[in-house]
Amino acid sequence: MKRMNRLTAVAVALMLVFAGSSAAAEDAIKIGAFFDLSGPAAFIGTPTRLVADMVVDKINKAGGVNGKPIQLIIGDTEGDPAKAVNIAKKFIYKDKVAAIIGPTRTGTGMAVKKIIHSGQVPTFMTVGGDPVIMGGEKLGPFDWVFKSPQRSSVAVKRLYMYLQEKGLTKIALLTASDGFGKDGGRWLTKLAPEFGIEVVAQEAFGPKDTDMTAQLTNAKNAGPNALVVWTIGPAGSIVSKNKAQLGIDLPLFQCHGLPDPKYIELAGKASEGDRMPATKLMVVDALPDTDPQKPVIEEFIRLYTDVYGYDKQFPINTHSGYAWDAIMMVANAMKQAGINADDLRAAIEQTKGYVGVSGIYNITPEDHNGLDVDSMVIVQVKGGKFVMVE
Amino acid sequence: MSGFQDLLQFVFAGVTSGAIYALIALGFCVVHNTIGIVNFAQVDFVSLGGMFLFTGLYWSGLPMALALPGAVAGVTLVGIVVERLGVRPSRSQNHLVLIFLTIGISIILRGIMKLVWGKNRMAVPPLAGEEPLRIAGAAILPQAVAILIITAIAIGLLVIFFRGTRLGLCMRAVASNQTAASVVGIPVGRVKAASFALAGGLGGLAGVLVTPITTLSYDVGVMLGLKGFAAAILGGFGSFPGAVLGGVMLGLLESLSAGYWSSAYKDVAAFVVLLLVLFVRPKGLLGK
Repeated sequence: MKRMNRLTAVAVALMLVFAGSSAAAEDAIKIGAFFDLSGPAAFIGTPTRLVADMVVDKINKAGGVNGKPIQLIIGDTEGDPAKAVNIAKKFIYKDKVAAIIGPTRTGTGMAVKKIIHSGQVPTFMTVGGDPVIMGGEKLGPFDWVFKSPQRSSVAVKRLYMYLQEKGLTKIALLTASDGFGKDGGRWLTKLAPEFGIEVVAQEAFGPKDTDMTAQLTNAKNAGPNALVVWTIGPAGSIVSKNKAQLGIDLPLFQCHGLPDPKYIELAGKASEGDRMPATKLMVVDALPDTDPQKPVIEEFIRLYTDVYGYDKQFPINTHSGYAWDAIMMVANAMKQAGINADDLRAAIEQTKGYVGVSGIYNITPEDHNGLDVDSMVIVQVKGGKFVMVE
Repeated sequence: MSGFQDLLQFVFAGVTSGAIYALIALGFCVVHNTIGIVNFAQVDFVSLGGMFLFTGLYWSGLPMALALPGAVAGVTLVGIVVERLGVRPSRSQNHLVLIFLTIGISIILRGIMKLVWGKNRMAVPPLAGEEPLRIAGAAILPQAVAILIITAIAIGLLVIFFRGTRLGLCMRAVASNQTAASVVGIPVGRVKAASFALAGGLGGLAGVLVTPITTLSYDVGVMLGLKGFAAAILGGFGSFPGAVLGGVMLGLLESLSAGYWSSAYKDVAAFVVLLLVLFVRPKGLLGK
């Protein structure tokens, strides 16, 4: 009997707590945020979530959106498309969120694209690959989907501009066999002729592979004057290490997903001299004071490192700013148009000249990303640090 | 570059991956030979080995000569704890129940690692230096050679242990018939704990040797576990030389098909060959 009473007391207390929180949540604006908090891309998804918390805090401290605070509802996709679909449905039909942020990877992004279209909730993704904001019969409509990281095609163009300038016109490609790597590979082959670049070899590797010397040997035998690698995560570092191991004396270029202190840490001395396109976040000190992004990036870094101390576990990398930009643009659109789904979607689509951490966004109905090649710089590993080239 | 030099490089690439698969396959075989189950927590013993080494080197500032045996000993201890707190309380001899238990333990271990060491990637320094060995123009990491040599030594010791020592014979007795073993006075509980300790030690050894090549994270073992498991089956589940043969064959299949056919379909090639081998020899290459 006594035990029963205690149980009842706990139940009542729990009910009170939940009743209290739901009452408080009544007037908050709900935004669903789902990332890879576990699984193979947890090292990207977890800091993305931390930044999302940080920017929502900042917005709420400044008075919220039209007097209402934003409440984030967090979900963990585990990098699994099926889980991502379930969470997206929960966000749309149970939580009835006003907007969605995430997911983290191209594969999960594509899995939820259809759900979001039928559920009609404006969604700002932080995925790398382009198909989420490409239309057509095969990829489906993208009216409700936006993405804050640069398109793969933009990163490819920025890289090719640099290669053309340096006269490195015969390249060998090594791309990962996952969604992101394939997307990059498609753009690399498609855009090469526009920049007078010839792809002399194309090799693939699994994102979890532990040795890429076979691919590098074949790539080298094709006689390129530069190697271009398209992958995220430790595989990129292993390619760099294997290249040094084989003594291949060719410049190595990585994709825009790898500018991250971890890359240098994992590849060690082998990474010295590697170059890659990056957002300006990586080289803020090298920016001129006239750059409109400089104060925004400096504030981001100050909050990230000094106020929240996230850099101890996740040093700032090129991905860090994407959740900030996504949530900021959604909040800005809410301030103008409220949270009615159609109005909000239209308002996000009209975002012009938003100065963010990752670039200056100009979104149009055709371009649901809004960043161009001028948002990226080429960085190089020098003395164990990323520095701007040119 | 000559054709022979390329071939040698592909072989080295295969041997590097293969050595890693072999060492992980070996861990699966040990538990199978002593308790008769597939221990899915084995893959987390591998990650833990790397984590303990990293902790010893960078958090406690120990030299490699102390951190490495320390890490292996640490995982051995974890193996015992897993047996005492995870497997034994079930009081079950049903293999299916025990296998599912190890899956649960694996998830718990991964969760703990995620909390303690975080989700980011880490770099572990190699045991044998970073300068590659060059043989006839092809390069191989000394770490890969070290893995193969240590795996070979480990197999030799394991064979002696299982054939020639009292504890090893007890383990085989328990594996073949638990009731009969306890009738003749073998302390079944302690023997089982010892086999988990052995599995932990081998997993930890794999972790400290493999993570300098693969990079370290809380789920690195899982990623390698699938290939290691496939290698164990290819070689004949439970056979120690089979584990090495299976691992190196799987690695070579991958690298040779990447080199001479298509790097995009190298896994397909490797696993098609694996299936064909199992059609002809369902018990694996060296299975009994």
